[in-house]
Parts: sequence; C-alpha cells; structure tokens
Amino acid sequence: MTGDRAPAAPAAPPQPPRKPDGAGRWIRWPGVIAFAVVTVLLAAAWWLLVDGMIECAIERAGTQAVGAKVELAAADLALIPLGLTLTGLQVTDPDAPMTNAVEARRISFLMDGLNLLRRKVIINEMTVDGVRFGTPRKTSGAIGKQEPGTVQKAARTKFVLPSARIPDVKEILAKEELQSLKLAESLRADIQAEQDRWKQQMAELPDKAKFDDYKQRLDKVKSAGKGGLGGIVGGAGEAAAIQKDISQDLDKITTARKTFESNLAQLRKRLDETTKAPEEDLRRIRDKYALSPQGLANMSSALIMGPLGEKIETALRWYAKLQPYLQSSSERKGKVEVVTPLRGKGVDVRFKERAPLPDFLIRTAKIGLDLSAGLVSGTIRNITSEQHVAGTPTTFAFSGEKLSGLESLALNGEVNRVDPAKPHDDAALKVHGYHLTDLTLSDDDTLPVSVKEARTDFDLKAGLRGEALEADLAATLQSVRITTGAKPDAGAVAKAVTSALSDVKALHLKADVTGTVKQYDVRLSSDLDQVLKQALGKQMQEQVGKFESQLRAAITEKVNKPLGDLKSSFGSLNGISDELTGRLQHATGLTKGGGKDAGLGGLKLPF
Amino acid sequence: MIRTAYKLLQVISSETEPGQISLGFAFALIAGFTPLVSLHNLLVLFLILVLRVNLSAFFLGLAIFSGVAYLLDPVFHRIGLAVLTTGSLEGLWTAFYNSTLWRLERFNNSIVMGSLAVSLALFVPFYLLSNKLILKYREHFLAWVQKTKLAHVLNILRYGGDA
Repeated sequence: MTGDRAPAAPAAPPQPPRKPDGAGRWIRWPGVIAFAVVTVLLAAAWWLLVDGMIECAIERAGTQAVGAKVELAAADLALIPLGLTLTGLQVTDPDAPMTNAVEARRISFLMDGLNLLRRKVIINEMTVDGVRFGTPRKTSGAIGKQEPGTVQKAARTKFVLPSARIPDVKEILAKEELQSLKLAESLRADIQAEQDRWKQQMAELPDKAKFDDYKQRLDKVKSAGKGGLGGIVGGAGEAAAIQKDISQDLDKITTARKTFESNLAQLRKRLDETTKAPEEDLRRIRDKYALSPQGLANMSSALIMGPLGEKIETALRWYAKLQPYLQSSSERKGKVEVVTPLRGKGVDVRFKERAPLPDFLIRTAKIGLDLSAGLVSGTIRNITSEQHVAGTPTTFAFSGEKLSGLESLALNGEVNRVDPAKPHDDAALKVHGYHLTDLTLSDDDTLPVSVKEARTDFDLKAGLRGEALEADLAATLQSVRITTGAKPDAGAVAKAVTSALSDVKALHLKADVTGTVKQYDVRLSSDLDQVLKQALGKQMQEQVGKFESQLRAAITEKVNKPLGDLKSSFGSLNGISDELTGRLQHATGLTKGGGKDAGLGGLKLPF
Repeated sequence: MIRTAYKLLQVISSETEPGQISLGFAFALIAGFTPLVSLHNLLVLFLILVLRVNLSAFFLGLAIFSGVAYLLDPVFHRIGLAVLTTGSLEGLWTAFYNSTLWRLERFNNSIVMGSLAVSLALFVPFYLLSNKLILKYREHFLAWVQKTKLAHVLNILRYGGDA
C-alpha cells in the first residue's frame, strides 16, 4: 500500500550547544582572521582620513597660535618615502583680518620614518615656495575677540604743526596751577604756626618781671652784707643761689634763641625759593605752550617716528607670537626632564637618550619669498624649540639682487637658545638702492607730509640679550622728494615748513632702540632737526619772546599780593627775635653787672 | 541608562561562562582606562578576538570605564608621574625610552603610565571579584530578577513583547 506510511519517529529533544574542549574552550581561531580584518579596516580608514586629519590639525593649531584663521587648501601624506605636501597655506593677519600676513603656495618635506615612530618629527629638508606677505583675503580671518597685544607702544609723539599764534595767557593761567602760589600758601601757613608756637613759648621763658625780681633779691643781699660778718656770710649763700637761678634762665633763653634762629633761617630759605618760584613757573609754562628748540627737534622725530614705530611694533608683535615656539616647555624633575605638551593631556617625561634628538627639528628649510619686488630666496637651519638638545642655534639667511625697485637685500641672523638661561637673538638687514615711494610721514590735517620718492640705503642691526633689546638703524635717503599738502591760506609756520622740506634732497637718519620687547624706547636723530630749526628758529624766537613777556606780566600780577603778604608775615617774626635778644641782654646784664650797683658785680664777697 | 542596565543583566544572565564575561570586563578596564589609541590596546583587541572573551561584556565595560577614566585622569596623571620619576626605576624607563616600540607605546606620558599601571594592577582582582559576583548573582538573584515586573518591562522594551 502506497498510502500506508510508517509512523513518524518521535522528534529528538534539542541538544544543548556543544562546548569546545581543551584549548578550544578558551581560544577562538577565527578571531585571528577577525583581528586581521579589523586591523586592515582601521588602517584603511586611517589612510583615507589622514590627509583631512593633518589639514584639520594644522589649521587648528595654527589658528590658536596666531589668533586668527590659518587655512590650508590641501595636505597630502605619502608613505614611501614618508613625506608631506601642504598646498595653499594662508595665515591671517590678526590685526587686519581681510589680509593674509603670510601665504605659501606649496610646502613639501620628507620625514625620518623611524624617528616618527619614536614620536620625533625630524625633517631633513623642507622646501617652501611662493611665500607672499600682505595678500588680500576673500573672507575675514577674524576669530572673535582679540586679546590685547603684549607689546607696549613706545611713547610716540604725534606730529603737530606748531602754531604761529601767540597763546592766550589768561586762558593758560586759568587752567595751569602756579607752583609759586602753592609754595607761598604753604609757607604762609608755616610762618603763622611758627608765630603761634613762639608766642606760647615766650610766655614760658623768663621775662622782665622775673629779672626785676632777681634785681630786688640782689639788692637785699647787698644791704645785708653791710650788717657785719654774719650778714656777709648769709648774703654770700643767697647770692650764689641767685646766680644759679639766673644762669639757668640764661641757658633757657640762649637755647630758645638758637632754636628760633635756626627755624628762621629755614623759613628764610623757603622764602627765597618762593620768591624765585614765579620765574620757574614762567619757564615751565613757556616751554609747554611755546615752541622751543627742543620742540623743533621733537617735531622732526615725530615725523619719522610714525612709519618707523609701526614697523617696530609689527616686528615685535610677531616676535612675541613666536616666543612660545622658540623656547622649550620643559622643566627638570629630579634627574629626568618633564615636558608639558602644548596640547593634550598629561605630561611627557623625558629620559636620557643614546642619540639625543629634539621632538621637532627641521634641519634645512629652503624658502622662496615671492615679494612684489621679485624673488628673494633664503635658508633657515635648525628650526626647533629644543636647541639645548640639538646643540645648535636656528640661523637664517635671505638675499635678493637686482629686484624691481631694490638693488640688493640681505638678511642674516640667528635665534640662539642653546643655553636656555642665556637666550640671545641677532639679526642684520642690509638694503641697498631701495626706491621708496609715497611714504606718509604725517597725516595731520594742517600739514600732511609724505616722501614722494627717495633712493634709500639702510643698515639695521638688532639684538636681544634675554629681555634687553638693542637695535641700531642707519639710513641714507638720496634724491629725496618730500611733498606737503599745505593749503594756500596756510599760516606762516606751515609755509616755512613746506619750503624747508621741499628743499630737502638728501637725508641721514639714525635710530637707536633700547629697552625690552614689551617696553622699548626709540631715539631718533636726523638732518631734518637742523633743517626745521633753521627754517623756523627765527620765527619761533620772536613768538616765544612776545609770549614770554605777556606771561611774565600775568604771573607777576597773580603772585604779587600773596608774595607781599608772605614777606610781611615773615617780617613779624623779627619781633620775636628782638624780644629774645632783649631778654638775653637783661639776663647777661644781671650776671656781669652793668654798673657799680647792678648785678652780682656790685656785691663784694670776702673770699 | 535603561539600555545599559538591561544589557548588563542580559550578559550576566546568559549561559556564557562567568570567566569569559569577567575577562571581557577586565580587558575593558584596560582599554577604557587608558587612552584608546594606544599600542597596548591593539594587543587587547587581538586578545579579545582570539580568546573566548564575551564581546558584549567587553564593549559594555569599555563604555562604562571610558566614562570613569575621564573623571580619573587627574589621579592617573599623579600616579603616572610618580611612577615615571621614581629614582629606582629610572634605569628601566631609560632603557624603554631608547626602544622604538616603547616610545610608540607612549609609556613616558604620565596619563598613559598612570592609567596602565592602575588598570594592570586591578586586572586580576577585578577578574576574580567579577567572577564571584556573577556566580553569586546567578545562584541567588537570577530567578528572582527574571520574575520581577522590571525584567518583564525591560523585555517588552527590548523585544516589543515577543520575548
């Protein structure tokens, strides 16, 4: 029977999964394949993302360091040989966010792979092409609020054209405090206090009544002396007691007189100073409001200091930004060195190496600067923040010749941190035949001044020893053409300055910068000082003369009465002096005797 | 949080050997406490794939210990710095420092050293303790937990009521 079927066997109960025995209990061999697959996948993901990660890392670190956007068009990592190529690097100028401070077309370098595994970036040769400065940006590179710069500006005098108008003396005296008046007021108060004090003291000193009393006692002693031997002996004892009293009183008056004379001498000295103070006031106010020969020299310095100061501040601001990268961020902890990474967690402890190498080192960087004048090429050697490990300083040398508007340029220097306790940096810049055009010296409304053109040679030497900054600049400008924007109705001074400056054909300039990076001082000297003095000297002298006579009259009028009162107040002290002298004479007369019956002299003692 | 709790209960309630679960947690302790991108974590990855370690326990532990490590970083830094600057170990560290493999491991970083030292010191005690706790749980609490409404709700949330 085809339709008959054997009854189905009952289903077997489900078996629990069989657990592996022996090594299989703890090891899953397919895991090796899984590990290989995971590792390859991770490596592939890294390879796909690494260029972007490098780009992001450079942009982030650069932006943080500069304080404005740092952008990179692309980064390309090559494994064999190990190298990196960066293209389109733009570093925004933090002070002008629509301008790139530096732009580099291409940066390429090879790295030491083995040292990279040891976390050391060692670049034997780097090439930087198409470096340009001050290029415009399409979008702003600002990143929020800027921190205030650490470089303190040198006290810069703004160029202001001196006025030919004589300043209003009344206006000036209304806002100026006269030192002579202050001195007179102070002295008058002191004289009054001295008078009050001496009035009180005179009451305590022996006076005429007391001296009359002595005289009566002496007369009694004399009359007692005529009454026999007993009277003579008793009189002698009384006379000695009186003599002692008079002598003590005499000492008191003498001491008081000496003190008074001393105080009087001091007050007289102050009175003399106060009497001379109006002359001091006159000189001070005249120098402040009228143009002096020194003011003329300041004027020429102010003209040159404007553009020069800006260059110094820019250079020092960038130097301050580079500082953290020039010095190692390590400290010693026992025998080992503890390095704080600029970013990241924890600290790296450094131990002694068999062949010490810095964590980051560019042995040679060949740089091509694409300036508006043409190509300037240069080399920077040993770029590292750990020069004490590398044992060599960072040096740089750039040069360019026969450029457009510039015959030659040479920049050399070194940044030396080999001994971190004695850092010193030096730079020397020599420029020959630079065609200077349209340099604004002053944008003052009354007299804008600019150098239209000049052929310039200059020699700059700058050095930093620790915090101490020292720089010398010597410049020679030839074939100079200075233009001024003096209006036709300009004053006599403006006309004189315009005439003097238009005659300037050559100019020598010397600048000394001293101080520290954060606070420096610039001393300028140039031919312009002499030119301006000659042009304006006579005119200014007349102006100063008129101003001085008006000012003298006004000051005299203002201080005459207070000074008169002061002198009269001082004169009243003479009364005290006379009184003290009188009392002293009285006392002295009693001791020495003025005649036959006066004083102790009249008493003839038997011994 | 609920998901994590459920996952934890699920892992320790499974029939997996307690040793495999504990080992997963113990390896997660190392990988979680120390910076993830480290050479030794490649070795941990190899071991968890090759050894019969419970991967769920590992990944769950990794999430938990990574969070804890974030809070413990200052402690790891102090311990690591103390270990690295101990005079008697200077010779050893100097030898390591001159080896490319150890430099790649970044042993000389205070947080790497501190977290690795702490996690290695805790590895065996943590494994044994975890083993014991799982056994105790399965013996005394598993049946009770499975009967609770919480377990039922968690099951519904996880499987939509099919479980």
